[in-house]
Amino acid sequence: MNPAVLKLELMAYGIRPGEGLFQPLANPFGLVHLTLPEKLAVSIHLQERSPYSLHNRNNRFFLEKNGETIPVQWTPPLKAYEKKTSSGLAIKEILTVHGGLIAVHPKGPCRFGLSGLSCRYCGSTKALNEHPPFTKKDLVEAIEMVLEEKRCDFVNLSSGRVTSDDGGVEWLTPWVVELRKHLHILISLDLALPRSLEWIDKTYAIGVDALYYDLDFFNPDETRPATFQEQRDLHWKALEQAAKIFPAGAVLSHLVIGFEPLEETQKRIDLLIGKGVVPILVYFPPLDGSPLSSRWKITPQEIQGLYARLFEKLTQTGLNPHWVQQRDVILTPLEGRFLSDQPARYPLALQNFYETSLGRIVTLGLASLRRHLRVREVPAP
Amino acid sequence: MKVKIDTRPLPVVIASRWWRFPVYLLLGYGLYHFYQSPPPEGLSLEGFRALVVFLACLVLWVFHLLPLPITGLFSLIAPVLMGVMPAKQAFSFFGSEPVFFILGVFILAAALLKSGLSTRIALLLLRSAGHSPKRLLLQIMAASALLSFVMSEHAVAAMMFPLILVITRTLQFIPYGGSYGRLLFLAMAWGCIIGGIATMLGGGRVPLAVGMLQEAGQETITFLQWTSAVLPVVLITFLAGYLVLTRFYTIDVDSVANADDLITTKLRECGRPLLEEKFLALLVVGAIVGWTLWGNRFGMATISILVVVLLFMFRVVEWKDLEENVDWGIILMYGGAIGLSTILNSTGAGLWLVKTQVLPHLGSPWLLVSLLSLVSLLLTEALSNSAVVAILVPLGLSIAPTVGIDPKIIVYTVASAAGLGYALPISTPAMALAFSGGYFRIKDIVLPALLMDLISWLALMATARLWWPLLGIRI
Ligand code: SF4
Repeated sequence: MNPAVLKLELMAYGIRPGEGLFQPLANPFGLVHLTLPEKLAVSIHLQERSPYSLHNRNNRFFLEKNGETIPVQWTPPLKAYEKKTSSGLAIKEILTVHGGLIAVHPKGPCRFGLSGLSCRYCGSTKALNEHPPFTKKDLVEAIEMVLEEKRCDFVNLSSGRVTSDDGGVEWLTPWVVELRKHLHILISLDLALPRSLEWIDKTYAIGVDALYYDLDFFNPDETRPATFQEQRDLHWKALEQAAKIFPAGAVLSHLVIGFEPLEETQKRIDLLIGKGVVPILVYFPPLDGSPLSSRWKITPQEIQGLYARLFEKLTQTGLNPHWVQQRDVILTPLEGRFLSDQPARYPLALQNFYETSLGRIVTLGLASLRRHLRVREVPAP
Repeated sequence: MKVKIDTRPLPVVIASRWWRFPVYLLLGYGLYHFYQSPPPEGLSLEGFRALVVFLACLVLWVFHLLPLPITGLFSLIAPVLMGVMPAKQAFSFFGSEPVFFILGVFILAAALLKSGLSTRIALLLLRSAGHSPKRLLLQIMAASALLSFVMSEHAVAAMMFPLILVITRTLQFIPYGGSYGRLLFLAMAWGCIIGGIATMLGGGRVPLAVGMLQEAGQETITFLQWTSAVLPVVLITFLAGYLVLTRFYTIDVDSVANADDLITTKLRECGRPLLEEKFLALLVVGAIVGWTLWGNRFGMATISILVVVLLFMFRVVEWKDLEENVDWGIILMYGGAIGLSTILNSTGAGLWLVKTQVLPHLGSPWLLVSLLSLVSLLLTEALSNSAVVAILVPLGLSIAPTVGIDPKIIVYTVASAAGLGYALPISTPAMALAFSGGYFRIKDIVLPALLMDLISWLALMATARLWWPLLGIRI
């Protein structure tokens, strides 16, 4: 079976534990971590109605669907989640790890989380509001504990729900500064749209390596408020400016699939890539009980073309797909190669290099060097 | 400060930010290469290496590869590293008298600024222009020049700048929007520049040059000797400066009554002079008398440091005022430059250079003086004044004995010409400040500045020919 199709199906339908499978299978956020054929990582919800079941025979894991078996590897949940910081906070209340990315929500959930359309980066989205507040020191300790156990190249800080002009940068700045001071790691921010573009320059200057600006939906329909058009223009301007400032491929925008016609999503993929932005296709069912769940109908088969197109467009433009690190909760643009006929030799070789220790040193070194070169202080007008 | 991201292509950014590194490497290689090479005929090994160090510092100064003070420090260690002399000897050059003279002068200027006495004097000099724009212009130029007789010109410019800015605002000029606004800033800058060469207090250049002369074992130039030698140049250039300004730029206002009112109000705000101010005024006068009468006997530096001690004894200034207002870096630069000049002369490198490279092309003393002053005037447009002195005086001092002229003439010529840069913001802080007002651009000033360069050179030559012989200085 095509591993990319398998991954999409698992993300859509989840898995159920086969008989006799020991617990706990899933991490504290209810996600089971598997590595599929072709080394595709995926984190899957446990779902009673799923057509896929997970089995273990003689310590070999495999998936079963309609009698067909697929060998997979199961990765036990991170031990670090169960550890505590010196102030007594559990690590799982501070961060979630997805592939090479550590997701942190210092300010609580964002609009996705609150809408019930879990993007799964924070895992237990609904419970985010109830998490105890943590300090910067807690965060640094928590990340250090994770890094002792697992290599991660990115920390992603989410601005949460913001209405201020800066899009949340100002509030996050001390967090970024603290991380920079203690850790040698790339930092990305998930931000709301800033009202003035100079915030984007500031964001890069404080030490942020990659940036997410999301606009949940693209196509305005009659249910959207009148300000939507204005929001959308702002979105384009911000993305254009960010793409000028950040490294190629380091400006990203999530695209939620399944709520708009596919042609709209397709158009938006082209537009984003044309502006130097890497789209991240978000394909998961909304949380149970969410008002959005009745609208979510789209099947894995229908969306394969989108991923293929994303991969093809991206390789043509030379945007670096390495900045996409949350590879177990999405089908990454590079993984779209399994759905396309186009060869992926160069981006794959690059990706393999980045995965090495030398690759990590080079990436971090180049990122700081680039910042050193590009950031200038000029007298205020 | 505001953050800006340089979005030009990365190779362009790298070239613009790192172009210095290849030059450093090249310089380092050059030093190493010459360290290994034998000296040319007629030059000692030490002399050869001293010359190499001088050339390296020249490159550093001219291209601003390092801040001037750091090049000054480098010029002290480079001879040690190149094996020209032991560290003890090289560093001892830093402690020369002129360095301390300059230190004292800078502290005095800082005290004048801090106490408000200089502002009061400036306002007094600016007052009563009535309605006449021409008169106000002349007063600004004269006030800047006169204050630069007793304070370093950059301190005067720093003090005058905010005053001129409020005056332009009062007259409701918008930046780059009126010829008279431009005139006011230029009058301030040119006043400072011209006044700055009149005495040894107008900046570090003259003391630096005199220091080099002294360290070369020559008889020094006294305060009064300097002023009397250059006074005609000051008078001619001042007059010419005023005429050039008023001819080149139109006066596009009818009345400056508003500005006059403002000056009167500001003066009133200053209130009665405080006891500290009166004491400070007394000290300045005392210092000038001291330099004139006893400069030779006790040394200029001794008197200037004595004045500083008195300032603190009577608590006219606090140490923290000085920390903010004194240009400490320039003192480091001077120390290094004087040291380098001494090394060049004591190792015979200067003499060799002149004999082999310069003299064959330069026979007459007059030719030397005219060339040195011209080169100095032109260089100072693009380089800082002190850098010009640091480069040209050591060379000039080496040439002087062979051409048969008094080395003092080199100092008079170079140090005065090096002060007269009229066009670019890099030449003096006064021009830099005038530019920062935003009332003119470089292209607006190229022609009048070139004309002033020519007039200054002619004035200097005429003074040398007609006036200096009366003072016993013969070329
Ligand atoms: S961005 Fe995703 S992970 Fe973060 S709060 Fe929103 S829904 Fe949760």
